[in-house]
Amino acid sequence: MNEFVERAIDLRWPAAIKPAYDVVIIGGGGHGLATAYYLATRHGITNVAVLERSYIGGGNSGRNTTIIRANYGIPEAVRFYQRSVDLYAHLEQETDRALMHKTKGLLWIAHSEAGIRQERARAAVNTACGATTEYVDPAAIGEICPQIDLTGGGVWPVYGASYHPAGSTARHDRVVWAYAEGAMRLGVDVFQRTGVIGLRMERGRVTGVETSQGPIAAGVVLSAVGGHVTTIASMVGLRLPIRTHPLQAFVTNRYAQAFHPIVASSGLGGYASQTAKGEMLIGAEIDRAPSYAYDSGYPFLQHCAFRMMTLLPFLRDLRVLRQWTGVCDMSTDYSPVMGLTGVDGFLVTTGWGTWGFKAIPAGGEQLAALIATGRTPDLIAPFSLDRFARDRTMADRGSAGTH
Amino acid sequence: MMAEFGGQMAADSLLTHLLRDPNVPIGGGCLCLAGDCPHCLATVDGVSYVRTCQVAFREGAAVIPHAANGQLPPLESRGERPRVSARTTHCDIVVIGQGPAGRAAAAEARATGAHVVTLDARDGQEVIGIYPGPLVVARAEDGMRHVYPRGEIVVATGASEIQPAVSGNQLRGLVTARAAAELAAAGVPLGRVVAVGTPPDGIVCERASGTLLRFEPSSDPARVGAVVMRDADGAETRWSCETVSLGLGLTPRDALLRMARGMNVRGVGDVLVPAHVPPCPVDGTVCPCAGVTVADLASVHARGFHELELVKRATLAGTGPCQGATCVPHIRAFLAAQGAALQPPFTARPVTRQLTIGEVAAGAHPAATPRTTLHEEHLGLGATMERLGGWWRPWHYGNVEAEYAAVRHGVSICDVSTLGKMQVSGPGALALLEHLYPVPIATLAPGRARYVFMLDERGYVIDDGMVARESETRFTLTFTSGGATFAEMWVRDWAESLDADVRLMNQTFSLGAINVTGPQAATLLARAGVPAPPAFLRHGQADVAGVPCRIYRLSFTGEVSFELHHAAADSVKLWRALLLLGQDLGIRPHGLEALLKLRLEKGHLIVGQDTDFDSSLRRLGCEWGVRLDKPAFIGRQAVLRTNRLPLDRQLCGFEMAVGFQAPAEGATIWDGEDLAGVVTSTTWSPTLGKSIMLGWLRLKDGQLPTEVTINGRSARRVATPFYDPEGRRARG
Repeated sequence: MNEFVERAIDLRWPAAIKPAYDVVIIGGGGHGLATAYYLATRHGITNVAVLERSYIGGGNSGRNTTIIRANYGIPEAVRFYQRSVDLYAHLEQETDRALMHKTKGLLWIAHSEAGIRQERARAAVNTACGATTEYVDPAAIGEICPQIDLTGGGVWPVYGASYHPAGSTARHDRVVWAYAEGAMRLGVDVFQRTGVIGLRMERGRVTGVETSQGPIAAGVVLSAVGGHVTTIASMVGLRLPIRTHPLQAFVTNRYAQAFHPIVASSGLGGYASQTAKGEMLIGAEIDRAPSYAYDSGYPFLQHCAFRMMTLLPFLRDLRVLRQWTGVCDMSTDYSPVMGLTGVDGFLVTTGWGTWGFKAIPAGGEQLAALIATGRTPDLIAPFSLDRFARDRTMADRGSAGTH
Repeated sequence: MMAEFGGQMAADSLLTHLLRDPNVPIGGGCLCLAGDCPHCLATVDGVSYVRTCQVAFREGAAVIPHAANGQLPPLESRGERPRVSARTTHCDIVVIGQGPAGRAAAAEARATGAHVVTLDARDGQEVIGIYPGPLVVARAEDGMRHVYPRGEIVVATGASEIQPAVSGNQLRGLVTARAAAELAAAGVPLGRVVAVGTPPDGIVCERASGTLLRFEPSSDPARVGAVVMRDADGAETRWSCETVSLGLGLTPRDALLRMARGMNVRGVGDVLVPAHVPPCPVDGTVCPCAGVTVADLASVHARGFHELELVKRATLAGTGPCQGATCVPHIRAFLAAQGAALQPPFTARPVTRQLTIGEVAAGAHPAATPRTTLHEEHLGLGATMERLGGWWRPWHYGNVEAEYAAVRHGVSICDVSTLGKMQVSGPGALALLEHLYPVPIATLAPGRARYVFMLDERGYVIDDGMVARESETRFTLTFTSGGATFAEMWVRDWAESLDADVRLMNQTFSLGAINVTGPQAATLLARAGVPAPPAFLRHGQADVAGVPCRIYRLSFTGEVSFELHHAAADSVKLWRALLLLGQDLGIRPHGLEALLKLRLEKGHLIVGQDTDFDSSLRRLGCEWGVRLDKPAFIGRQAVLRTNRLPLDRQLCGFEMAVGFQAPAEGATIWDGEDLAGVVTSTTWSPTLGKSIMLGWLRLKDGQLPTEVTINGRSARRVATPFYDPEGRRARG
């Protein structure tokens, strides 16, 4: 008996595409499906289609390292992600589905004076904005995670860390499916293998989409795609301050549960956690060069393995199982872009970089509210696209390039 | 059968050795002996998940079969291990697999004179992936092989045998037809063998006809005792046996081939066979790695999981050590039987054969942090070294207060060799620098220097430093230590884009730099043979204590400062001479900790610490750093545009009432109940007798608050510099 077999979620696929929907969401990943779910459950809007060019959750929603946290570096981000942390904490209850949500605590290690400054700032800003993060010394780190080599292999000694007790993980696929199931149960139509090949515009307003299965009229179109958002936006002549970078990760085989927290290090450019299945899951920062490629690289595997082994020597004899790659939409200030675009009838949720999974509930909830009411909720107003024109960018150095 | 693998009688694999003793609990599931199935996995000498069929038998090896205890291996690495080596080879052609097809391909390539590297799992060289490069990575007993072919990669990995997916398939005594032949040839006792499907070569055995229904245990509940078949009429026949040989068809072992799509790769031999689609499984375990049954497949399929990838994710079938080699044919057959078209197998990704994290890390090493020429001098003076801006630098020499006092009241030296340094020369030098910097460069006369910011196209500060003009066509630039690599790339990219007629010479490592600073700095230089050093914001060439130097007169500490740039080879000589000449002046070197205090008293920001990557000069309170009447420079349009918008936050100076300790950097700044910013730099100023800070402050109603709270204590926003605001001391 395999406890990981999904035994409850029931995906009721629609029979056929209707000619018109109130809302068409492009992208059947976590963000698209969560938005549909909240439109249906919170606002009673169910004449909604979600279009997925492949299978649901097959993009970044199924490629991320499933970490949930709110320990960002700027107040707006802390508040937004804290909302997501809170929604995740109750998502199993709300959807009545086992999402394997587990609170683990997250250590973000500093190996230098600059690192100490960054982690202290993170702790202070988090505390000021309703998230719980404290700065801890090496002795406390050793208690939270006895497997850490505090000498960093004699190369990168551990000076301190910020500790975020709310850091948690959930099974990414199940989050996607639970949202899909909940939305479909209330009448939302989700179509797989339905790619968008064009957007229809009439008198400056987006009025529908052209798909591989034919045209669909839409009251509002939301792009919730990952990786090719600039391609979708260009269909209406919109340029986005987004570049797409690959992000790689790997897992080991399964081992007995023994590594409890999530451990991250900007200095080493990597992070590790043990999954519910028992695998060690290890990731790194984004590849520097922009690309849409899903190729897995050996230098990543080699160097990430090496660096994480200096911090976590117990990794040495574990067996590498599989590596893979996702693609991350990075905005120029490393913060997400949500909401209105200036093109009537066309909204985006993008710029999710390496932190899209943790934002799924709050992103979906807030965009649903925006679509339903026509007003941008305060929580996401700072993340609007026009911030770049208004010189209100939100650089978050503490989050740049990391998960 | 043996000819298939080269006709060599290999030494026993660990698995073959174990199977000679029927009481060793290995197996349990249909053994393939080819590295495909997960049934022979064991922990060997502390390394878990070892395919015992793929490693040679070695006397004394400690083996714990995984299937035996039913528990996951412990999350640990015990004891010391020799460092794994990594060998890099460049060649013309790589041939993976040395069966008949692989051998033929290798021979053909060699006949053309090509340098061919062959890698064969049966020789202990397991290829774990083909990567962009192209790079073929193999794991071998004696270390990792990184092979870079100039030409073709030939994949001759053959085909694997399909595993049985029926009830009882976890029993011991099941082998594939090839494995049966191989074990028989190795003299492993198989007892009474019944063959299902294609019979094994070279073994006399009964052949069970009909459709495979199930396996039944013998008196030992873990061992097979019979195989049950159904004939065309639906009648069941039971065949008693001790071993079942299963020839259920082939599926190509093509993960490497699929992984390398788009590269110069070619399959030969059985790797190209069409995948045999077995009958739809009706009962039993489909995926032994994750324990997924046919009932599990049916359950998720009934609830809408129809895509192969969704079935995989909903059941975890195919996510275990064999990466779908066992289950994928059956899942495809199952889904096709539900009426869908036959779906392609999962995407192939590395690693196709497993290796340890220690092995994969072979050949990697810590990125070296560079040291200046004076590193040993610092250590000799008792310095505590710290990594800063990508270099090892002296953090202090044991007495920060005394180091600070030497600068403010006497004379001190500091190793600033880590500064980025670049010489820009040629007819196009001036035009290039006019484009790169937001202030006029043409008005800078030869012999003069100035402090400058570097902006990106968005008008945000990316670096700061000095521009010094040496002649009409020659300039020296300095960059921050941590930003020098990016800045050099930035300058080179722009020089290329603008097609500038310039020569760019990186002098960061070739030149050392020592800053002589303090009220007695000029006295020290006079003693070193420079009675008339350059005036403020000027520079000149002179021998200092016999070392040819270019002397730049700027100031970061707030005191009279002379930055001595010299050949790095002379650094030690110059450093020692200065310390000796200044002995009676109370000279002592200062480290970064004192320097950070000194510069903060002057309100000088540090790019990267006090700035973020959206810091415009207006936000930094440094609008003097840009001249908008200059017609063109990088970032001008952005500065013009954003200057028209209301300001939202600014980097400001703060001080706390006397007696309050400086808060930690990163502390939050509060304007009443509102979070208004964060402290980026902080120190206690010995000269001013209070805590001083730089930090980001948000405007409220268009105004910067004056009274704020930091760490629960009241603080005031004040103008910078905190110390010597008129700058008299630096001018001397």
